[in-house]
Amino acid sequence: MSDDKLTKILTFIHQRNPEVGELNLDDDLIDRRAVDSLAFVEFLYLLEELSGETIDPEEIDVEDFRTLRAIDKRFLHGAAAH
Amino acid sequence: MPTTVKPVKLDLARLEAMAESDYYNPYTIFDWPESLGTDRPWMSEDLVTLAGTEEWGKLTREQQLALTRFEAVNFFSLNVHGIRELLSEVVLRIHTKTYADASEFLHHFIGEENEHMWFFGTFCLKYGGKVYPAVPQVGPGRIEGVGDAATELVIFARILIFEELVDYFNARMATDDSLPPIAQEINRVHHQDESRHVAFGRHLFTQLLDQVKESRPEDIPVLANYLETYLEYSVRSLYNPAVYRDAGLDQPLELRRRLLEHPARHAAHNAILNRTRKFLARNGLQVQGASA
Repeated sequence: MSDDKLTKILTFIHQRNPEVGELNLDDDLIDRRAVDSLAFVEFLYLLEELSGETIDPEEIDVEDFRTLRAIDKRFLHGAAAH
Repeated sequence: MPTTVKPVKLDLARLEAMAESDYYNPYTIFDWPESLGTDRPWMSEDLVTLAGTEEWGKLTREQQLALTRFEAVNFFSLNVHGIRELLSEVVLRIHTKTYADASEFLHHFIGEENEHMWFFGTFCLKYGGKVYPAVPQVGPGRIEGVGDAATELVIFARILIFEELVDYFNARMATDDSLPPIAQEINRVHHQDESRHVAFGRHLFTQLLDQVKESRPEDIPVLANYLETYLEYSVRSLYNPAVYRDAGLDQPLELRRRLLEHPARHAAHNAILNRTRKFLARNGLQVQGASA
C-alpha cells in the first residue's frame, strides 16, 4: 500500500472515529471499533476508489477488513507488506 | 434481548381492526405485465438522486429513463433488505414479556412486511433481473455504553426511520401517473400499510423513550446523535454507484460524491427527513444544526 493510500484510509477512520487513536498494520480494526456498521458502506467505496476495482458486497469476507495489512493484501495488492 | 426493559403498555385495538379490515392477498391482487417497456420512467423523476442538479440535465432522455429504471430497482431492493433486517428483530421479540401487549399487532406486522418484501422482490427480479445486494454489517451495529432501554429503543427507532423514509417515496409514486401502473400500485399499497406501521412505531418509540428518560437520562444525547447519524446513513444508501454504473454513467464514485455535496440534494434530503426529524425533536432528540 502506498503511503498516500494508507493516509487516506487512516484519515477516513480518524474523521469518523477520532477516539480510535494510533493504528498499526496488524491492529484489529473491528475489535478497536475503527469502523462501525454505519460507516462501513462509505469505507467500502473508499477502498473501491483506492483500488480502482468494484467490490461485490456478496463476496465480502469480514476477515479481509480485520487489519490494514489484510485490506492491503486483498484490495490494494499487498504493497504495504514490503 | 435485554430483560430489564419493562413491558410496554399499548392499546392497539384500532390498528389491529384496521389491519384486519384492510387485509388483501398480495399474491393475487396485482396485475404483473410481462415487461414494463423503456419509454416511461419507473421512478418519479423528481425523486431520483440526480434530481435538481445539473448532472440530470447532462443526460440524454434515454439515459434519464435508464436511470429511473435502475433507481427504482435499487429503491425496491433497499426495501427488501430493510424489511429482512427489521423482521429478524421483530420475530425475536414477539410473545416476549416486554412486548406482550403488542403481540397481536406484531402478527399482522410480520405478515404484512413479509408480503411487502415479496412484491418488492418480485418487481426487482421480474423487471430488473436482480435485487441489488446489501452491504453486510461489519463492525458494531448497536450503540455501546447505553442502557437496555436505549438499546431496545434503537432497534425500533431504526425500523421507524426506515419506514418513514421509504413512505416519503411511496406516497409520491403512488399517484405519479407517468409511472407504469404496477409501480404506482405497489407504492400505493405499501403506503397504505405503512401508515399503520408508522403509527404503531411512534407509540412504541415514545413508550421506550419514557423508560430511557426514567432510568438513564444521560443516554438521551447519545441516542440523539446516533439517530441523526442513522438518518444520514439511510439517505446516503439511496446513492448506489452500482446504479450509476448500470445506467452507463461515467465515474460512478465521483458522481456519487458530487451529488452528496450538492446543495439541491441537501435540500432534497431535508425534505425527505423533515417529518422524522420533527418527530425526534418533539421527543427531545434533536441534534442542533442537523441537516443531511
